[in-house]
Amino acid sequence: MTSYNNGGVFNPAYHDSETLEVDKRSSRKPHHSNPYANEDLALWGERADLRNDAEHGSHRGGWQEESRRVEESIPMGFITTNSTSASWQHNVYQSSLQIDGDSHYDPSPAARPISSMSGNMTMRWRGIAMRRMSMFPNSDPAFTEEEAEDEEQNLVKELVALSTREQVRQIRGLPMSFERKKHIRRQVMAFKSSKHSQHFTGFTDCSKNISLSFRRCGYGIKSARQTLELWHGIMKEIGGKFGSSVLTYFMFLKWLLMFNIFSFLVNFGFITIPLLVHDLSPNIPSNVSFRGLELLTGAGYFNYTVMYYGGYSNETLRGLVDYNMQLAYFFTIAIYMVLCGIVLIFSMANSFKKNYALADSASNSAWQLLCSWDFSITNDKTVRQRKSNLRVQLKESLSEKSLKKRLTLSEKLQQYGIHLGCWVLSTSLAVGCGASIFYLCQYEQEAMDSGPWSLLNEAETLLVPFVVSLMNMVIPLFFSLLNKFELYSNQRRQIYALLLRNVLLRMVILGVLCYYWMNVVPGRFLCWEPMVGQALYRLVIIDFLFLMLGSFFGEFLSNVIGTQLLPRFGVPEFDVARNVLDLIYAQTLAWIGIYFSPLLPAIQILKFFILFYLKKVSLTQNCQPPRRSSRAAQMQTIFIFLLFFPFFVGALSMVAYTAWSLTPSEQCGPFHGLNNTFSVVEIWIAGLEGSSDWVVWIYENIIRSELFYFLLTLIIIVIIYVFWQLIQGRKELIGLLRQQIINEGKDKSFLLDKLQYLQKSYSEIPAGPIKQKGPSSRRSDGHSSGSQSNSNAMVQVLLARQQLEEEEQRRSLGGVSVPSDISASSAMTQALLARQRAERQNEDFYQMPEEHPSSLNALDQAMAARQRALDDERDEYWSTTDFNERNSSASAVTQAMQARLRAEEDRGDDPADLPSPTSSVMIQVMQARQRAEEEERMQWAPDPLQNPAPSGSSALIQAMLARQQAQNEYDDGY
Amino acid sequence: MGNKQTIFTDEQLDAYQDCTFFTRKEILRLHGRYHELAPHLVPMDYTNEPDCKLPLALIVDMPELKENPFRNRIVESFSEDGMGNLSFNEFVDMFSVLSETAPRELKAIYAFKIYDFNVDNYLCKEDLEKTLNRLTKEELTPEEVDLVCEKTIDEADLDGDNKLSYSDFENMISRAPDFLSTFHIRI
Repeated sequence: MTSYNNGGVFNPAYHDSETLEVDKRSSRKPHHSNPYANEDLALWGERADLRNDAEHGSHRGGWQEESRRVEESIPMGFITTNSTSASWQHNVYQSSLQIDGDSHYDPSPAARPISSMSGNMTMRWRGIAMRRMSMFPNSDPAFTEEEAEDEEQNLVKELVALSTREQVRQIRGLPMSFERKKHIRRQVMAFKSSKHSQHFTGFTDCSKNISLSFRRCGYGIKSARQTLELWHGIMKEIGGKFGSSVLTYFMFLKWLLMFNIFSFLVNFGFITIPLLVHDLSPNIPSNVSFRGLELLTGAGYFNYTVMYYGGYSNETLRGLVDYNMQLAYFFTIAIYMVLCGIVLIFSMANSFKKNYALADSASNSAWQLLCSWDFSITNDKTVRQRKSNLRVQLKESLSEKSLKKRLTLSEKLQQYGIHLGCWVLSTSLAVGCGASIFYLCQYEQEAMDSGPWSLLNEAETLLVPFVVSLMNMVIPLFFSLLNKFELYSNQRRQIYALLLRNVLLRMVILGVLCYYWMNVVPGRFLCWEPMVGQALYRLVIIDFLFLMLGSFFGEFLSNVIGTQLLPRFGVPEFDVARNVLDLIYAQTLAWIGIYFSPLLPAIQILKFFILFYLKKVSLTQNCQPPRRSSRAAQMQTIFIFLLFFPFFVGALSMVAYTAWSLTPSEQCGPFHGLNNTFSVVEIWIAGLEGSSDWVVWIYENIIRSELFYFLLTLIIIVIIYVFWQLIQGRKELIGLLRQQIINEGKDKSFLLDKLQYLQKSYSEIPAGPIKQKGPSSRRSDGHSSGSQSNSNAMVQVLLARQQLEEEEQRRSLGGVSVPSDISASSAMTQALLARQRAERQNEDFYQMPEEHPSSLNALDQAMAARQRALDDERDEYWSTTDFNERNSSASAVTQAMQARLRAEEDRGDDPADLPSPTSSVMIQVMQARQRAEEEERMQWAPDPLQNPAPSGSSALIQAMLARQQAQNEYDDGY
Repeated sequence: MGNKQTIFTDEQLDAYQDCTFFTRKEILRLHGRYHELAPHLVPMDYTNEPDCKLPLALIVDMPELKENPFRNRIVESFSEDGMGNLSFNEFVDMFSVLSETAPRELKAIYAFKIYDFNVDNYLCKEDLEKTLNRLTKEELTPEEVDLVCEKTIDEADLDGDNKLSYSDFENMISRAPDFLSTFHIRI
């Protein structure tokens, strides 16, 4: 029991034990049968409230002041000055708040919670508060409305100093209600205009108007953009039903769609439109007509249109202005690729910064409990499912923790063997796919070369894309099957392994195709670029068909199987990773194809658009929300990274290789007759010589000079190195700061320990007498001893806390020590006791006769002890003080209280007299408490005594003990 | 601009746009939603800022909040009187904080308030237990609830006081990137 109590004491000493007590009491309220006690409580509550108000100024301004206060209580790590005192102080404040909150059940909770963290508008604000805090450690009680207003004025001033844009941002980020934000905004605006009007009125008015209209214009644009925003309602519906991880797929799809729309607009605007304007009719041979199969194969009729590279000419279009088709083609594609790269790099870096740099997988259950709930879910079925999923996951994590055991060596080896086998198998599968595609391509070529071009021939061209798409669909399924046999220690690693294998497969397939297009195709055709374009077109189209089939087979069929045939399988989940990879693959095709078929993005737009609706329908009809709440944000980062790294970079290098090293076909296209595509720029520069020499100079000395790139690389390497070192430094700093936080915590617990130890030395002496008295009490059973130790612990706790509070108070007074008027308090106590005794006697009248002696005995003892304690105390204050005496006084008080406690416990068991003792005790509790607090506040009378500590403490202990006693009585009574 | 009926003046809309994360259009949409909740109580004309509050029961019935396990806490956290009565401004405030563009700090502050059931500025075990019970349909055994809560405190508590202060919470949030996307209600 004692050990338990000590354990409990350890930390609650810092928390407020009062809170706990009050909570306990309030939770019992429904059972409470004594109307008087209730009334008393309420009365007390009102008083406390009043006191509260008096202390902190009116509640109108209280919002901010409270906010500052709490803000100060937030431990700020290494700013150690007075940080302990801050938290202690906070405790005092909080406990008083708690009382009024409890008795009233919420007088102004709205003000309180907002305030609770409001100060954290920015780190800067916290910093200010901390600084102020360390300068005036005891500003709390004196925190008035003026100060709150001051604070607000400071805020306004700081806001005024910022630019308008920053102002708006800051105001928006303030954790206040709209009304207050509006108020601050108005003040800021007024302040600004008054400041300006002192100088030149007319001009500032004008500029103000202009800035206002600019802002309105900006909001208008934002509004318009929102109107144009695609699929807002659908996104909301999906998010509401399936949560944000599935929504990631659709966001990604939308993002890619935007990419393609941009790319289409650029290509169409700068390449196709000028050509169409110049020469509307495509020069199609008379024997070629549109047959329908072209839609699938992209050959035939399409071959002569602007769809492909071949449809463009190398002429300079002569119209209102000369338009050099070659340059336009080259620069449009180049700039588009560069822009894509930049956008990708930025969104990737941004996503990394946001989602990865700080992510920490260690705090799993904290995450699951506090961050994993998706607030956007609005579907009741999903909510139910989520709840049970979360339950299962929590249970799993608990059992994992308890069952975690080390694997033996052979088991480990076995596992590694399985992993290795799976990797070998999947890699060889991917390589095999690549090889078979290469041979298939060659076979197709031979077949095409052998016979004349016919419809059948044209249909045969669909073989390669068909096989490729089939592989793309089937092999990942096989991979997932393989994944099931492997045992991964954590789920994320499993997902990554699967993802990596799929990426590998697609890279091998695309690599083989690219190799074929780059090395084989140019040698075989006179006009080879359109051939590659056609191949890409077919791949895009067939891939689309397979995506549709995939959602039919993958989702619809397994839904049917799961619901109708084999309920064991259940309704399928939407596999976000696989689907996103499909999208990435499709986008890569479009990027590769942009050089060979500038209008491929148009097809891509159509494809993505249809795919969105298809997937949405398939999702809502066939799928269930994901069972595991995976960390969607990190997955998204990985997807963007994948899109950038192997796929976009691969596509870019392929296009660049084509432009730099391959000879364009002799017969068709904008670049025919040139050695390579890039020589367009050389020709252009040569033509510029004489007219604009600076361009030529730049070209010669920067673009074409190795030295420049060499220097650039060197500089970049140096910069990278410097940043790397910076990162290392920051990492160290972070580690140090973490350590500091931990040390702070340790410091705190060490100090608490020490305090406890000190207080123990006070309370150990009374332990003797109590035990001696034990037998005199009739019921010295386990329960009473329990309560004794309990109260013992309480005394310790309260003493520790109390002492600290007092120390602070003393400090705030600048070293002036504070005695209290003991005579008043003792008188009060006596009065109370007399009253209590009277009541007690009344009650005893109805009690069993044999109880009389013991309870009276106990009471007498209590009274005597108490009297002694008070005498001691008085002596102590009016005479000299030394350690011994102080100890005895503390012991006397404790003794007295415990004796009383016991006496009351004795009678508390009798149900007949329950109401009145309860009420009396309650009254006592309340009064004692109030007295204690009054005393505390009255301690300002200057009196240079040496040892002020016990005076306040005795009062407080009395109060606390009385309260504790009441608690015990309740416990016994019910 | 060209609205058939003026609900807000331009100045009001400017104030809304400056102080919340919404555009004019969204503010009007929000007003529509608010009006929808109680057509006879909420006036269409807000130019003179009428004093009108809707009780918690009505707001909690919105489809966006209806299934949310923390719906009452959300609404209470944003209401001035703490009873869950929301004026239109508070209503806008609520969705502004829950909108996509609200910064992490702001969201964290209000999330902390929502999870702080007993309003003592700390997430103590009791709060976590309540949170957990809401998240799991109260189907975990008391021991499991206890274990999970202890683990949570253990993981997130930096200063060793056995409860989560706001700074502990914020620290945890800053390392959970998903929070931004999950603490988000589309309106």
